[in-house]
Amino acid sequence: MEKRRHISVVIKHILLAVLALIWLIPIIWLIVTSFKLDTGISVSKFFPEKWSAHNFVDLFKDTKYTTDGIMKYKIWFKNTFIIAVFTCLISTTFVLMVSYALSFCRFKGRRFIMNISMILNMFPGVLSMVVIYFLMKALDLTQSHIGMIIVYSAGSGLGYLIVKGYMDTISTSIREAAIIDGCSEAGIFFRVVLPLCKPIIVYQVISSFLMPWGDFVFAKLILGTNSSKWTLAIGLYNMLDKSRLNAHFTHFCAGGLLVSIPISILFLIMQKYYVEGITSGSSKE
Amino acid sequence: MTLKKTPNNTSRGHFGYFRDLIAAFKNGDKYVRLSSVAMGTGYIARKQVIKGILVFLVQILFILSMIFFAAPNFAKFGTLGTVEYAYEKVGLNTRINNYDNSFLILLNSIVAIFIIFVFILFWIHNMKAVYELQVRKEHGRPINNFKQDLRSLIEGNFHLTLLTLPTLGVILINILPILILIAIAFTNYGGLEHTPPTHLFTWTWRVKNASGEVVGKVWDNFSTFFSNKNSNFNYAFWRIAGWTLLWAFLATFTCFIGGILLAKLINSDGIKFRRVWRTLFIITIAVPQFVSLILVRNFFRDSGIFNTICSDIGLTKLLYNMHLIPTPDTIPFLTNPKWTKFMIVMINIWVGVPYQMLIATGVLMNIPQSQVESARLDGANNFQIFVHIIMPYFLVVQGPALITDFVRNINNFNVIYLLTQDIYQTHDLKMAAANAKEPDLLVTWLFRLTNENASYNIASVIGIIVFIACATFTLISFAIMMRGNKEEDYR
Repeated sequence: MEKRRHISVVIKHILLAVLALIWLIPIIWLIVTSFKLDTGISVSKFFPEKWSAHNFVDLFKDTKYTTDGIMKYKIWFKNTFIIAVFTCLISTTFVLMVSYALSFCRFKGRRFIMNISMILNMFPGVLSMVVIYFLMKALDLTQSHIGMIIVYSAGSGLGYLIVKGYMDTISTSIREAAIIDGCSEAGIFFRVVLPLCKPIIVYQVISSFLMPWGDFVFAKLILGTNSSKWTLAIGLYNMLDKSRLNAHFTHFCAGGLLVSIPISILFLIMQKYYVEGITSGSSKE
Repeated sequence: MTLKKTPNNTSRGHFGYFRDLIAAFKNGDKYVRLSSVAMGTGYIARKQVIKGILVFLVQILFILSMIFFAAPNFAKFGTLGTVEYAYEKVGLNTRINNYDNSFLILLNSIVAIFIIFVFILFWIHNMKAVYELQVRKEHGRPINNFKQDLRSLIEGNFHLTLLTLPTLGVILINILPILILIAIAFTNYGGLEHTPPTHLFTWTWRVKNASGEVVGKVWDNFSTFFSNKNSNFNYAFWRIAGWTLLWAFLATFTCFIGGILLAKLINSDGIKFRRVWRTLFIITIAVPQFVSLILVRNFFRDSGIFNTICSDIGLTKLLYNMHLIPTPDTIPFLTNPKWTKFMIVMINIWVGVPYQMLIATGVLMNIPQSQVESARLDGANNFQIFVHIIMPYFLVVQGPALITDFVRNINNFNVIYLLTQDIYQTHDLKMAAANAKEPDLLVTWLFRLTNENASYNIASVIGIIVFIACATFTLISFAIMMRGNKEEDYR
């Protein structure tokens, strides 16, 4: 019996290892390819024949700007960072405001707002994307980072479900005690509820910060052809244009790897809170 | 998602809203009635001077916006503009004439209608508020001064302070585009001949043929999909809609089951370094999708590395002999319709299972162990426990999430677009004529139609159909789930 158990544990570990390997193959390929000497895509060998770190150096070389103008990694990184910081600030503020109002305040029309937002949430941004583009054009905000920030953050109030679910778990007696102590509603929001929401705020901050790094559809549409306004996602995507594939595939991998490292770290921090938010949200609703 | 009953919600049905308004007119004194024309008077009469002036300013602003913004646009709303973009000569100089931009006319008109709608709501609210002030005064109850009104914005009316800005954002980025999208579905906006600013577009029922007769009908854009059997759009629509549904079902189901199984495997007895295993899987989703999916796309391309490996080990030959692939040297992973669909589902498992594993890990921890124990005492084996206890528990807890996942998969733009764009070529002429490809979902098709073909009106129709389908599906399934709410069974 003991021996059978032992064997089943070993088999489970082998199974896990095989699965993990399958899941990691693309990531491993990304890493090894970014250290490849010759810049094209390899069609026969998984591991490069000659290793080199020149791809990373190239990304930050200024001379590359002038030769074919498609490698402005530093500028793209800066652009994305600026957009991400502002998106994160606005989105987090909006989400916290809406969540508190819907979780703690009782007012006429509260259910109506929740129902409407549920329906609006079902309308994916991709569908109205083109209209948003024309709207931004009418406001003269295309090819601008302000336009990007508005697109990413203005509608963020709709994404309140997880944070509200978390706030719903906070007992109302804490709030009532604060009211008896003469605390205003705003005081409760800032001094009682927000400190209790730290984990879910971390989740919200990171997830809204990560959004601009991963999106390329909206960015492509709104930032257009001016490559010094681009975010990393469009810049990297553009490197893989058919005509450039052989000149820049390894640059793409190096750039992708570099941006993945900070994102992965943030993501790993976030996932802890992600699970917490999701599960507490679903069991309380 | 169940909505909590709000104790303070004094719902008096739909008529209560207007009953108060009628009461205000019936029983209101001259100041209240005068407020319906000059909106601040009701406040000023009760010594709320600042509020009265502010409200009056809003009214003036509204009237000005109607005269200078709404009226000129409404005048052209019926035709969406008549003056084409052209050069005109003024003395010796050539300049662009004062042309009509159909899109701006449409946009401004919708904004104006929206402003009118909001103003009417404001006006009704205002009438009720001044009437309540009158009642308060008659009964000798206290009336707020301006300072107290401001103070209420962080007290009882704090929700107004909190919700105003987010709501404005949602109106700008979500509601307004949806309204415009609906309007565009009834125009001939698109193609080279009907794209502003250089060209006009108009409503479908005003479309004229070469000799100037009106030939358009209201539902023209919709009928290209539904009633016109010969149109390429009709042909492509049903194929793509069918695949979209199949895809959403497969993607949701495979990731859901896969996530639970993986979470169970990592959590099962005797596994060492659980966190390390979990992290290994999570890393794959931490890499942005546009990086990982483009990489995977190049991995599986016809002349790509995976094909070389497959043909080196003889797999390609084997599949060819089994008649599963058309050529003996490449597996058309992302170029043949059937293979592409299969690969997309498989790659989506790669993308989606770690997410589901994360969530399932959380849910697994909450499974009532007493039930599992008692089932085990009754002689149930692991498989029976999984099927009869764990799966039903997941279905109840994850039910709403499954529905939203399904809808999200219907609109899963990234996976399909990143995997097939620039690689997949359709050989079906009718699909190609509709600018569609076999593995397209409705959303990616919509994107191609707008981005590559500028068929804005047709794309809007698709958008509306997708939205209606998703909204109906979600509302019905939530209604069914709430009726048979089994959540309590596990408490």
